Amino acid sequence: MSTLTGIWGKFNKNRGNAFGYGLLIPSIIVFAIFTFWPFLYTVYLSFFDWNMISPEKEFVGLRNYMEVLSDSKTYRIIGNTFLYIVLLLAINCVVPYIFAFVIDVVLKRFNGFYKSAMFLPAFISLVVGSILFTWILNPVSGPLAIIFGWLGLEIPNWTKTQGWVILVLSLITSWKVFGYNFILLYASINGISREVIESARLDNVPLWRLFLQIILPMSSATGIYVFIITIVQSLQYVFTPVKVITQGGPDYASSNLIYHAYHEAFVVYRTGHSAAISIITMALFLILLFLEFKLVERGIYYEN
Amino acid sequence: MKTNRAVALTWHIIFMATVLILVFPIIYAVGMSFKPLQDAYNNVLNILPLHPSLENYITLFDTLPILQITMNTFIIASVVTIFKIVTSFLAAYAFVYFDFKGKEILYFVLIGTIFIPFTVTMIPNYLIISEMGLLDSIWGVMLPQLADAVGIFLIRQSMKSIPVSLVEVARLDNMGHRRIMKDIVLPLVRPAVTAVGIWFFISTWNEFVWPVLILKTTDNYTLPLALQMFISSEGGTNFTVAMAVSVITMIIPLILYLIFQKYIIGTFTSSGIK
Repeated sequence: MSTLTGIWGKFNKNRGNAFGYGLLIPSIIVFAIFTFWPFLYTVYLSFFDWNMISPEKEFVGLRNYMEVLSDSKTYRIIGNTFLYIVLLLAINCVVPYIFAFVIDVVLKRFNGFYKSAMFLPAFISLVVGSILFTWILNPVSGPLAIIFGWLGLEIPNWTKTQGWVILVLSLITSWKVFGYNFILLYASINGISREVIESARLDNVPLWRLFLQIILPMSSATGIYVFIITIVQSLQYVFTPVKVITQGGPDYASSNLIYHAYHEAFVVYRTGHSAAISIITMALFLILLFLEFKLVERGIYYEN
Repeated sequence: MKTNRAVALTWHIIFMATVLILVFPIIYAVGMSFKPLQDAYNNVLNILPLHPSLENYITLFDTLPILQITMNTFIIASVVTIFKIVTSFLAAYAFVYFDFKGKEILYFVLIGTIFIPFTVTMIPNYLIISEMGLLDSIWGVMLPQLADAVGIFLIRQSMKSIPVSLVEVARLDNMGHRRIMKDIVLPLVRPAVTAVGIWFFISTWNEFVWPVLILKTTDNYTLPLALQMFISSEGGTNFTVAMAVSVITMIIPLILYLIFQKYIIGTFTSSGIK
């Protein structure tokens, strides 16, 4: 009898597990077809010379990688990519971290208003943002140029100027990304026990020390998440203003690895190069993430 | 300790300035969309139109199948959202309430896909959609996006906060998983599911990169693509009409924002990223 219940129980458990797998099937099918297989196929394509139309793909081994890595343009674009990453991190990770701290811990008034207002652009299309800022920041006839004109200042012709173009495109992207990161960080800081904060304040701990020694470590799990999505996702968001406003120009000055992979594939139809660039991009991301974890591993405080 | 008044005032000024930078463009767009083009050029600094007119909207309806385009955007965003919510909810349930071989690895792999840049999957996905004959069709836009790792992640976080005993008691009562899902788990995670759903809807509504690859004719466009048509390399001669499209693109997200922002902020606060 006992073996019978044992078997019955096991049968039930297996049936339960089968049901569990069943629940995962829809997601797994979508991911298998549209993420995992494409990933492998891109690796495969990176070893072939192909223009997306011709029926023949020519195997070229590592030649695509060699060509991409021996092209001076590539290094320029990798340099741009790092500049974007640094700017995006400063604007969308460091600044909202400090803002969230001040709004949650230091200030008493308008907290709700700031939260709502800063979150608002996260809901709006970045194409809208790109077009609006192209107009607002137009160096000749835009409203900002006119106000600057009164002060005797000029707005640089940023769409055509190296350096400026990356800064402005980063700012436009940040308009969209800032609020989302801010809300995540705010939520995390808001979850820190008020007793800890109050007792620190009773002890007259200066604000900057409260931030660096209590808030930062205690919200670091979210902090790291925001750090990572800023690198991985904001960089992909930059694609939109680049595509809409500059198409990577002038002379690749605003292109980054994401836009360049698109450009190679869908503008000049060199799928091999595009695939190689994508794989290199992913490798760079992985190295960055790995370094990030190595560096801060010890400092993470898991909130639960 | 009291916060120094001067310090507080400085911060308020900084935050007000930030809010102004973030919100001003939206208000500006609405104002501009009701200005005739000439007025927009002559009175750049007037946010409110001196002679409000519907000219831009009329031009827009004359030149573009804007109702069709709005409808496309709405269908894509709705279908994608519904599928993503269902697939994410089911997967999250499996990850939280079942034990099976390779569960941790599978979860790790699925969540890991968040960090794959879209360029890595873009060419093969384009080829798949092309093979299926779905280029220039809204189905081609929707098909690759019917599941979502972030959705699985957030809904799983929310399910994990439900006391295990609740589900265990139901199991002891011989309640089937289908009923537990529907009658116990779903009502408890509904706020999170709503928030995630709104977020999916907004993201898909605003999506640009993938539709730009798939959709070719204006009849099949979504709103962000229609908007892009008004940016000419010479610098937008149809600027005020572009503003009218912007306003149409923004209306639904703004309404959803007004209704649901507390919900979404609340979901981030309670389930968080841990």
